[in-house]
Amino acid sequence: MDPGRSPLTRAGVGLLLAVGTGGAAAFESDVRPLLESSCLACHSNLILSSLDLSTTGFDLSDAATFRTWERVFDRVERGEMPPAPMPSPDPAVAAPALAALKQALTEANLAVRGPQRTPLRRLTQLEYQYTISDLLKIDPDIAGGIAGSLPAEADTGGFDTVAAKQGISALHVRGYLDAADAALDAALDIGPRPKTETFKVEYAKSGYLNFMHDADFLGSGITKQLGDGVATFFDTASTYMFHTDTEGYAVPQAGRYRVSVAAYPYQATTPVTLTIFKGTEGVAAAAALSDLIGVFDLVGPESRTVEVTTYLEPGNVVSPSVADLEVPPGPYVNYFAPDKNVRDYKGEGIAMQWLAVEGPLHDAWPPQATQDLLGDLIADDGGAIDLRLTKEPYEHVLDIVAAFAPKAFRRPLAPGEAEVYARLAQPLLAEGRPFMDALRVPLRAVLSAPSFLFHGTTRDHDEPEQLDDFAVATRLSYFLWRSQPDAQLLQVAASGELRDPDVLAAQVERLLDDPRSERFVKDFAGQAFRLYELHATTPDAGLYPEYDERLGQAMAAETELFLGELIDENLSVGHLVDADFTFVNRRLAEHYRIDGIAGQHMRRIDLPTGSVRGGLLAQAAIHKLTANGTTSSPVPRGNFVLANLLGQPAPPPPPNVAGLEPDTRGTTTIREQLQAHRENPVCATCHTVIDPPGLAMESFDPIGGFRTSYRASGDSVVVNGDTFPGPYKEGLPVDPSGVTPEGFQFGGFAEYQRFLLERKLDLVARHVVSELLVLATGAEVGFADRPDRDAIVAAAAAENYPLRTMIHEVAKSDLFRRP
Amino acid sequence: MKPSRRTFLKTGLKATGVTVALPWLESMSLANAATPPPSRMVNVCATLGLYADSWFPATTGADYEASEYLSLIDRHRNRYTLFSGLAHANQSGRQAHNSEITWLTSAEHPGLDGFQNTISLDQAAADHVGYVTRFPSIVLGTVSPQSQSYTTSGVMVPAETSPSSLFAKLFLQGDAATVAREKQRLADGGSILDRLRLDVQALRGEVGAADGKKLDAYFEAVRTAERELVEVQAWLDRPKPSVDADTPADVDDPADLIGRVERMLDLIPLILATDSSRVVSLMIQDHGVVPKVAGVNGEHHGLSHHGQDEAKIGQLKLVETEIVKRFGILLDRLDQRPDGGPSLLDSTTVLFGSNLGNANSHSATKLPILVAGGPFAHGGHIAHEGTEDAPLSNLFLTLLRAFGVPTDTFGHSTHALTWA
Repeated sequence: MDPGRSPLTRAGVGLLLAVGTGGAAAFESDVRPLLESSCLACHSNLILSSLDLSTTGFDLSDAATFRTWERVFDRVERGEMPPAPMPSPDPAVAAPALAALKQALTEANLAVRGPQRTPLRRLTQLEYQYTISDLLKIDPDIAGGIAGSLPAEADTGGFDTVAAKQGISALHVRGYLDAADAALDAALDIGPRPKTETFKVEYAKSGYLNFMHDADFLGSGITKQLGDGVATFFDTASTYMFHTDTEGYAVPQAGRYRVSVAAYPYQATTPVTLTIFKGTEGVAAAAALSDLIGVFDLVGPESRTVEVTTYLEPGNVVSPSVADLEVPPGPYVNYFAPDKNVRDYKGEGIAMQWLAVEGPLHDAWPPQATQDLLGDLIADDGGAIDLRLTKEPYEHVLDIVAAFAPKAFRRPLAPGEAEVYARLAQPLLAEGRPFMDALRVPLRAVLSAPSFLFHGTTRDHDEPEQLDDFAVATRLSYFLWRSQPDAQLLQVAASGELRDPDVLAAQVERLLDDPRSERFVKDFAGQAFRLYELHATTPDAGLYPEYDERLGQAMAAETELFLGELIDENLSVGHLVDADFTFVNRRLAEHYRIDGIAGQHMRRIDLPTGSVRGGLLAQAAIHKLTANGTTSSPVPRGNFVLANLLGQPAPPPPPNVAGLEPDTRGTTTIREQLQAHRENPVCATCHTVIDPPGLAMESFDPIGGFRTSYRASGDSVVVNGDTFPGPYKEGLPVDPSGVTPEGFQFGGFAEYQRFLLERKLDLVARHVVSELLVLATGAEVGFADRPDRDAIVAAAAAENYPLRTMIHEVAKSDLFRRP
Repeated sequence: MKPSRRTFLKTGLKATGVTVALPWLESMSLANAATPPPSRMVNVCATLGLYADSWFPATTGADYEASEYLSLIDRHRNRYTLFSGLAHANQSGRQAHNSEITWLTSAEHPGLDGFQNTISLDQAAADHVGYVTRFPSIVLGTVSPQSQSYTTSGVMVPAETSPSSLFAKLFLQGDAATVAREKQRLADGGSILDRLRLDVQALRGEVGAADGKKLDAYFEAVRTAERELVEVQAWLDRPKPSVDADTPADVDDPADLIGRVERMLDLIPLILATDSSRVVSLMIQDHGVVPKVAGVNGEHHGLSHHGQDEAKIGQLKLVETEIVKRFGILLDRLDQRPDGGPSLLDSTTVLFGSNLGNANSHSATKLPILVAGGPFAHGGHIAHEGTEDAPLSNLFLTLLRAFGVPTDTFGHSTHALTWA
């Protein structure tokens, strides 16, 4: 025990209230009676609870101690403590205790934070990517590659925009110098226009395929010459029959390429799916073509030409392939190789006709940023580009910096500020180095400057308790675009009108209507609902053979489109719990057993009455990211509901508690394993809260399929001496019933959804507002911020918490303008 | 370090996996007995765990009976010590695999609210030696830039994943024009940083306390970066060591887990023998693939969650056997004694293990931990009977001190772990 901290003991040793005007006296007189009457019976030994309040100090400036008392406050206020069957505390004892705790926690929160709620925010990796992409008109994928070389954001358990948790190191500084260099490489170019070239292969004339049609390979011939194309029938095999590597082509230089494929369904009566992959040359295996870049349904009999425009790197190869084809029954190894040559095969296939790769594509030359920066200095004399300097080179550098830096810094420059940067070009100009080399140094300095890399705490001149208008504009655009403000927003900031609520609301509308707001939706889904973790694990191929990358991509798209729809249509956040619509393509619809969906594009559909789908918790993405690829457990899923939907995360397990041992042998269920767990009183305290939502979600398997029984590993099969996992078996039945801590009994997921909607909707709304505030302001919602946050929630309550309205309320809140 | 000696150096190591005897730096320096060999550190982590029943021996002490995995490297038995019962405390994190980001640091509750990582074992060592070598540390990954190496401020040092580009950085001189361009770039960068320092100082006067702290951190980062660029520039003027090895070909296929591990492990003796760096860390990552290992058709991560399924455990062991064998080959190479002189392993402390004690349940206690080489008495199995989480930081403190860092603490250490 830290000697500086005074232990709170049952013997009544003096209590120290380190922070707060009420002091120890208020704690002694107001909080202690509650502890004595309702808490210490359990929370004074480590047998019944891992929390010992008799030894928890009251130095609220200590972060861990603060969190403990904050949690005590929350759980008593919510009536969760003391738990049933213990009697509820006497309100005459509880009310003053809560009031005293509330005051002490508020004061401690403010004291630790200081007068400023949000310190300087550093551009996150993602913000850096979008910012240089917008500022220098760099292709988003190239900008992504540049930002990807910066140090990764640390996982601090919340949004990476939280300034107080953002680190900065020499690695960052060197990274920024290199990234600025790379960004200028992409943006500044007065060389000759790079040639755009087209590679095309007609598969009927492919020497490689013409050899392979009858070759004995993985069994025997797996492709069929049709004269106007080549038919293929098995997806894994197909992928490496048609890639450009075997045709002698790999992408020569980095850039944006258009990949086109012409194909038609062959011997198919139902739609068939054409996929396009990219990969790396020199690896003649399907595994190397692992990036799915396009999915299309072909509906016969006409040929269809499809195209994808994508960023490719030197050495990349591309390939069309097939999916969703009926294959002959039998052990699934036949899926890769037919028994006989496919010449007489009658099953579904696709006829591949030709593939073309065109690029690198350039919308403008010289690059748009070069034209913007250099303007009239560029003279394009039919191919070669000249620079026409009309005055001292330094004067030109100064002009260019003076025009560029305000955009980069998201504010007007101070007098003399442009010169400070422009002067960095002088030694180079004096050495006689080329103008463009000299110009790069000040631009690189601008892109490495604190005014570019950090944003937003400039205080208003007249009202220093508020941000100035440029800082507000910056906060707004990094909130809803995750990038810099555009010229119009800066213009509104300069006019001083941004403090007019109607003008602000109009800008919020404009930003949300702009395609750039998709970045916000994606990042919000990624961080608040953990969608970034979706592909952290790959489902076990033996237990979940139906999973593939197309399904994985459709899952992510469903969640993002759904969230975007709530914003676009201003729908209640109650839809996160349950909704009568969702987004699917044919692949996802089949996974959800929804009929009548054609085509691989995502679209909104109304769910049939009684559908188990609807709402975030019924989306496959959430089921997948809360499972480990092989099994699912109610514990991480319950934690997801508590932490990511209701905003009431359970504390981490006490030390030395091992996780449950997954068991897929089919002899025990996770529910049985958890039951033993919950008989231990120390575990039970939290697990009676954590487990029920997870149990309700037991009806969804690790890839989001609806299940009534668990899958168990099948017996292995030996083929040609290799052991393969056999087909999975149906195991024990699923029981998705449970009892919430409030005593609500549910038979399954749908009843639990109703419980959430009827009893917990305010918590969902409050949590969404909190998360929006964290992303928008770059600071956690501290204890002292709760009244402001709750006011925003209350403002949206009458209309049942519509999401777009809540975004507006956040943007016009006091917290949003507070430094 | 004198350049003449560096350039003189030729190693016979081949990146192809053939073991060749070599004359190298230390036999030269010890031959004239002028300078003792420098201390070195290598850390290798198998992040998807090592199946406990196959790793841990049933018996302890000096006469422990080698387990299934350890029998694969039992030829080096007297060159390493096996530990059981070690762990970092409070590793339950936000994500089940978060313990991999704290394996070298010991920070608690990775990824949970308020988490900030702390300096890793290798970076503490690298900070101590600095630019006495061309690279204070080299951080390697088998598939992604994620690493287990963190700076004092908790920033992850990205890992190198391409053996060929790392080889080029280490050993290929580059043509004169490229070197000149690189020097110019560094010089321009230096003058920009110089400028930025002034900017920050000017801004510093205008902001409140919270921003002041941020700017101070940035200022410090700029100053450190400036100093580092000076060092990097200085090394640019010194010729790189030439080695008698060809640039290794990158293994593009992420499914070739073992091939990728092999390529990275092949580089480690070269890095140490040429004194390009004295601190190397390798993270054997989850490739998210079915590893190309005969008899394996399950995805590696899925196999680690075997669910007690015998077929999966069998396949998992096939994969891990290959990893342990490759580690054995690294020890073979480091322990070569040309002319009967000292080996690299004599002056290199090699840490091998995992951040997971039981991958099936994501448990981060009772970790598989092995220390080879360096100035230690080896040969035994040090069991911490009755506990699953005696502080691993105590062992790290011992390793750090052996490296030459004069410190009494590391991470959550309570005291240095000693054994005889």
